[in-house]
Amino acid sequence: MNEFAQLGNAFLAVCHPASLMFMFAGVIIGIIFGAIPGLSASMAVALMLPLTFSMSAVLGMNVLVAVYIGGISGGLISAILLNMPGTASSIATCFDGHPMAMNGQASKALSYGIVFSFVGSVFSFIFLTFFAPKLADIALKFTPAENFGICFFALTMVAILASGNLLRGLLSGLLGLMFTQVGMSPIDGTVRFTFGNPNMMAGFNTLTTLIGIFAISEILITAETKFSGDAKIIQVEPPKGLGLTWAEFKYQIPNAFRSALIGLGIGILPGIGGSTSGMLSYVTAKNSSKYPEKFGHGCPDGVVATETANNATIGGALIPLLVLGIPGDGVTAMMLGGFLIHGLSAGPLLFVKNADVVYGIFAACMVCITIMLLVETWGIKYFVRLLKIPKHILMPCILVLCCVGAYATNNRVFDVQSTILFGVIGYLYHKLGLQTTPFVLCFLVGGMMETYLRRGIMTYKSFGAFFQRPIFDVFFFVAIAIVIWSVIKSNRDRKQGKVI
Amino acid sequence: MFWRKYRDYLSSIFFIAISLFMIYMARLLPKSKVMSIGPDFMPTVIGVTTLILAVLLLILTVMRTKERETALAKAEPEDFDYRRMLYSLVLILIYVFIMQPVGFILSTIIYLIPQFLVLAPDEERNKKEAIKLVVISIIFTIIVFLLFRYGFKIVLPAGLFTIKL
Repeated sequence: MNEFAQLGNAFLAVCHPASLMFMFAGVIIGIIFGAIPGLSASMAVALMLPLTFSMSAVLGMNVLVAVYIGGISGGLISAILLNMPGTASSIATCFDGHPMAMNGQASKALSYGIVFSFVGSVFSFIFLTFFAPKLADIALKFTPAENFGICFFALTMVAILASGNLLRGLLSGLLGLMFTQVGMSPIDGTVRFTFGNPNMMAGFNTLTTLIGIFAISEILITAETKFSGDAKIIQVEPPKGLGLTWAEFKYQIPNAFRSALIGLGIGILPGIGGSTSGMLSYVTAKNSSKYPEKFGHGCPDGVVATETANNATIGGALIPLLVLGIPGDGVTAMMLGGFLIHGLSAGPLLFVKNADVVYGIFAACMVCITIMLLVETWGIKYFVRLLKIPKHILMPCILVLCCVGAYATNNRVFDVQSTILFGVIGYLYHKLGLQTTPFVLCFLVGGMMETYLRRGIMTYKSFGAFFQRPIFDVFFFVAIAIVIWSVIKSNRDRKQGKVI
Repeated sequence: MFWRKYRDYLSSIFFIAISLFMIYMARLLPKSKVMSIGPDFMPTVIGVTTLILAVLLLILTVMRTKERETALAKAEPEDFDYRRMLYSLVLILIYVFIMQPVGFILSTIIYLIPQFLVLAPDEERNKKEAIKLVVISIIFTIIVFLLFRYGFKIVLPAGLFTIKL
């Protein structure tokens, strides 16, 4: 069956009324989590994961995609109306979105954000749909040596780029690697570091770790933050149609195209994520604009640049996840958890063995962004009301849902307790100025990396033989080069008086 | 201020301690007889790498103490509400340890009411508000229980009494 036929079949499956209903709900939940500051897209996916247990793999993954898309684009609502980014991805949306709203153009700013979120997503999903299968064909030929090289490359990149400080990034990742060592070792099944606790035989569960790191820690952080009164929410009326004229849309196309490319590229690279892509394309748009002085005072170009880029990042981030099984950021890490729950292993084999799931995700992406466009355009009034839910009621309720989610993975309270442990680790990381992203990715990829290494050494007898594989060499030496570059760069920054 | 000032010392000492522990534990693991690297290889590599990097971080931190102090003098003081955080953490810990014996519904209601009050702004801690919070916690708990029981087929711990619905 060729790709188009598979895509067509997937669309038919996705458009089944029950599936549409679930995705509709998923997008709305995603938008709510995205819009409320303190709740994030990764939290939304974490909480939805246990709910997909009883669904089929295709439907389950589609719901997660829906939540992901809603979560990333929902952040623009509070960024524009509250001057508080709902998610990290929409930090740069505040710069121009909020001034626009203050000038009485709130509805226009939202329309720009929503429409160009859609445009950015469409661009990246088209790229994903037609490019990922080709890449998977290549990745299928990889041996354990190449896979080890890619894991090594991805983890090094994440450690450096996610934290901006080499030592702290590597250390936070290494703690994640330590936690992968708990339980039975790959290949020979030796029991390690369980301290006689039978619950730890299978290692720490992926889902409980992720819920702890992303959700529980966020609750502790919110608990200690002092609230400075209620922020003022700007009122909006729903726009007529999509709220933009054709001329306004056409004018932004070059800007959107450039931002979408930036977003896509950053999405593919591991460890950077939506917040950087939004910032980077905002700065690029400002620098290449004919009127950079208007930026920051309510220039629609800024909103367009950020929102196009952070949504284009979604499609980019799904590429390494689907093709190699390596998540690039927090949300895709959660998606990997989703694959594991449904007994699927993300990676090139997925395209051969579970093509229905892969094409289901492609089709779901397209359908979900359309739902997102419609829901956000006409439902904005209701989402604004949700911004008024007080934190002291919201956060404990989320915590209860986290515990239920952790419990549901294996029906044991041990998982709930370990979730709290990881929540405390996430909180301490925050206090120590360490990033949790390297921890999570090392935790997820570390086990795979050890398996590949030991399998590779079984095949090739020694580690030295890995270097005879050119693709391994490329990834290995590029990773080493990036480490050296970041050491040089941080030294130079320090000489210029920047404190790291 | 405390965290900003000492966070690198704390992180490096924490990582040194945990890596030494890891190396020690890895030495107790059996070596592989069939191939060059066994189950003890990865833990040892991780432990040793962590130890080297953590010592490096400690040295750099000590060397750069002055530099950072000048920068910190300019930084704005941070203001945290540790009381709320610690109370919440204690409540959460009690909650997860009583969930199994007491059961989901009861333990959740017991957890939610004080947790709402701990996080509530001071001016909202009156009787009227408290009654509202009690009602919210009971309704929320029951909705979650029923949703998971019948919607997602997940049976939460029943604890002291079994509910037959």
